[in-house]
Amino acid sequence: MKYFLIYFYSVFLFGQTGLEIAKMVDMRKTPKDQSNITKMILTNSKGKKRINIIKSKSMDRNKKQIMWFLEPNDDKGVAFLKIENDGKDDEMRMWLPAFKKIRRISSRKKGDSFMGSDLSYEDMSSREIEEHKYSRLEDEIINSILCYQLEVIPNKKAISYYSKHLTWIDQSTLMIIKEESYDKRGELKKTKEFYNAVLKGYSVMERVFVKDVQKNHSTEVTFEGLEVNSGIKESLFQEKNLKRLPKN
Amino acid sequence: MDKIISKYSDHPLRSWFIKQSLDFPIRTIIFSIMITLIAASGSRFFIIDDDMLKILPKNLDSRVSWDLIQDEFGSTEVIFVAFGKEGESIFNPEAMATLWDLTEALEGTSQVEEVISISSATRMDNEDGFMEIDDLQSYRNLSQVEVDKIEEYLQKNPTIKKRFISEDNQYLLATIQPYESGALNTFRDTITTISNPILSNYETHYGGQAYLTGTMPELIRDDVIGLAGIGVLIMTIILLANLRSIAGVAMVLMLIGLSLVAMIGVMGWVYHLTGSDRFLFTLANTSMPIILLTIANSDGVHVISKFFKEFRSKQDSRKAIASTMDCLLIPIFLTSITTIAAFATMMVSPIEPLFGYGIIIGAGIAWAWFLSSLLLPAVISLKKWDSNSIAISRTSIFENIIKKLGKVVFTHPKYVLTFGVAFVIIGCTGLSKIIVDVNMVNFFKPGTEIRDSMDFLDEKMAGTVDIRVRAEGDMKSPEILSSMRKLQDLMEEDEKVSTSFSIVNVVEQMHRTVMDDDPSYEVIPENREKINNLFTMYSMSGDPDDFSSMVDYEYKIGLITAFSKVMSTIEIFDYVEKMNQEVKLLKAEGLDLEFTGMIVILRDLVEMIVSSSVLNIVFSLIIIGIIASIFFKRILWGLLAVVPLFSAVIINFGFMGYFGIELSHVTALLSSIIIGVGVDFSIHYISQYRRLARTVRSDKLISEVIEDVGYPIILDAGSNMGFGALLFSVFLPIQNIGGLMVFAMVSTSIGTLTVLAALSELLKHKLIEKDDS
Repeated sequence: MKYFLIYFYSVFLFGQTGLEIAKMVDMRKTPKDQSNITKMILTNSKGKKRINIIKSKSMDRNKKQIMWFLEPNDDKGVAFLKIENDGKDDEMRMWLPAFKKIRRISSRKKGDSFMGSDLSYEDMSSREIEEHKYSRLEDEIINSILCYQLEVIPNKKAISYYSKHLTWIDQSTLMIIKEESYDKRGELKKTKEFYNAVLKGYSVMERVFVKDVQKNHSTEVTFEGLEVNSGIKESLFQEKNLKRLPKN
Repeated sequence: MDKIISKYSDHPLRSWFIKQSLDFPIRTIIFSIMITLIAASGSRFFIIDDDMLKILPKNLDSRVSWDLIQDEFGSTEVIFVAFGKEGESIFNPEAMATLWDLTEALEGTSQVEEVISISSATRMDNEDGFMEIDDLQSYRNLSQVEVDKIEEYLQKNPTIKKRFISEDNQYLLATIQPYESGALNTFRDTITTISNPILSNYETHYGGQAYLTGTMPELIRDDVIGLAGIGVLIMTIILLANLRSIAGVAMVLMLIGLSLVAMIGVMGWVYHLTGSDRFLFTLANTSMPIILLTIANSDGVHVISKFFKEFRSKQDSRKAIASTMDCLLIPIFLTSITTIAAFATMMVSPIEPLFGYGIIIGAGIAWAWFLSSLLLPAVISLKKWDSNSIAISRTSIFENIIKKLGKVVFTHPKYVLTFGVAFVIIGCTGLSKIIVDVNMVNFFKPGTEIRDSMDFLDEKMAGTVDIRVRAEGDMKSPEILSSMRKLQDLMEEDEKVSTSFSIVNVVEQMHRTVMDDDPSYEVIPENREKINNLFTMYSMSGDPDDFSSMVDYEYKIGLITAFSKVMSTIEIFDYVEKMNQEVKLLKAEGLDLEFTGMIVILRDLVEMIVSSSVLNIVFSLIIIGIIASIFFKRILWGLLAVVPLFSAVIINFGFMGYFGIELSHVTALLSSIIIGVGVDFSIHYISQYRRLARTVRSDKLISEVIEDVGYPIILDAGSNMGFGALLFSVFLPIQNIGGLMVFAMVSTSIGTLTVLAALSELLKHKLIEKDDS
């Protein structure tokens, strides 16, 4: 009874708990598939830039994703396929046109950088709710948007390269708009800013800016030509489709 | 109080100086101390830094390339930490766990940019068709099977193994790169403070340029403090034996102390105002306080001993001071100015700290001159002296000995002269045997902790002398990479160069991995597309920073790094020459290469030391010759003044050759010190010769001069035995300077009383006639 009252008062006074908010975000309505032209700008500490342009198609909340490199010219023709399997290692394959070979890539390390960017595979994967502890902090207004503020701490089950995240979630769309991630030493590692749009009634991400504050390296990803629910077939996510860039 | 004497000297300037000391002693003392304090306040900006790179001029090619590399790839000055147990294989879980702890702890500090060890390295494998990039050591606690897998991987990749494990598999190596190149002393302290407790169960060795550079400030500071203490002690004993007056000794020590703190402060101020690395206190500057100590002592002891002599005859302290200063103001000024001139020639040295050395010690000598000319007589005037005290009433033992010595020199001039000339001839023959060596490892005696650690790393690991080649070109071009491979193969041909690595090694390894781990594919792919595919594939799962020490962000600049064991100077010259030839050929093929690293720095330093020594000797002899010619109004006197100095320099360098004492950027100072300090004797001799030539018959002139000038010269040389303090330095070259300077004081003083005396005797008709005219 005592515990019930504590829970009751906390919900009554503060609304949803951190865990409830996390669940709401997880259950948010998402499109079945997405396609876009991804432009990734990497900037190092000396201001030097690398730009990659990739055609991307995905479904099942990005659990299946296929990408074809368009730019730089050196990378044209390289293609990448990723299929996330629940409870098993992800499958990652790459088409190397110069070698005319498809090679599988290990996905053992979640902390590895994706394509030299400041986004790691862990950053790009959805968080398993049961592997994290969510605490709700005081709501804040970010860029005139009223946000929930959550403290997310990976528990022992989670294989994480972080010790903590502070996440700001738009209360109206349940989309994350800002996040700070702290390394195992408890020092700020990355700051992330998310810019979202509404497409066919779905809230979708159209730009992400990530900065590794320790390395002073940043990544800006913009999703151009966004399309949702365009009828991508599951059969697209096969090795053989890596070798040919689709027309649409 | 005695009535103020209105005219203390025939010369108005001398009279003014004496007046300040005798008529306004308090004002003079306050003024002198205030100026000293203002100068000394600069000591808060005084910095000890012995970074080898800062010795080189900023526009030197190898330094320009070095700076570029530091800018593009981060600091290349690293600390090596090796640990293990003699006779035991390091491939065991406990050692790997310790390495893990060490790497984690070091990476956790803000001063560390990167730790390169098995615990932080990645491995690239092909497993069942997977291109797998994973940690070489995935976690702390490994099983023996997992450790064996690491060993197996390293055996398969010997180039990688050399960077992490000793040749006998008994020691692990961690290479620590600082976040920034400055403040290597605190970086070194941080590394050892963190590492020592973690490695307490192991035999541990530290090394690398950053470790040496970081260790030096503390060693230099301790050395300088210790040497100054010993120097003061030696001088106090000599002074007490000679002056037999505690007050007199205290006054000389006061002069020394004020000159010293002013000089250190001036160095701080000049560094603060100019920001120039030339005014950092380096290992080469360690001898500076002792040199100023002896010069200031020399000035002070002349004033005090002359005052005692005058007081003995005049029985009036004011008259004695006036007479003393009237007699000594010019010689002290002249000896100071010639010493300053000799040290000022160090400004032509291409070695940066020697430029600062010349200026700062010049300032110190000038202040010592000012204090001995104004402050010291003012202080003397404030004390009531007892004319019956032993110090004043009796001549010293030294004085008596010198008188006898003078007679010996005079009665056997031919033997003495022959002896002196023989020494010069022997010295000449030793010049060709001089070895130039600037490797800082050799600055420490075998058996010292720092030397043994460096020797260990040299013998057991890949070596500690780095070689860097900056390559500019398309780092994805097979032609460019092939040229780099060609250069690396050539670099490794020398048996002392144990390993080299660059992006070429990574490309070859990636190629092999992609081609199902077939060793025949461990070569550079034949086209650019393939190389690019490899990099792209790596970027999908590897850390982008994995290549940051080998190639720049845009793949336009690459860095080849090789490590060599310590080479001799001749080996360094041969190696650098051979590499430069190859670099020229490869440049013609379109690859822009710049060859640098510690090995090239050492080569350049050797060249600079030789040219610096020659320039210093030539310039200082010319300048002193000119100054002596002007003051003594005869070119011949100018030439004669430099004869004993030139002889002493030859004898010293010749003896360095015979005794195997290496010429380095530290011992290169010797010529300036010998000339700067030794010139005093010539000046005293010539001054006295000219003065007595007016009153003494020519057949008795030489004996009179020797008898009269012998005491101050030998006293001066004797008081300069403070140089002997340098023998207690922890640094071998500083010890060598100490020994050689003691010898130089003997050779210059005796040289003056023999070679110069004999020459002036031979040329006396010419010299006296001209002087009369």
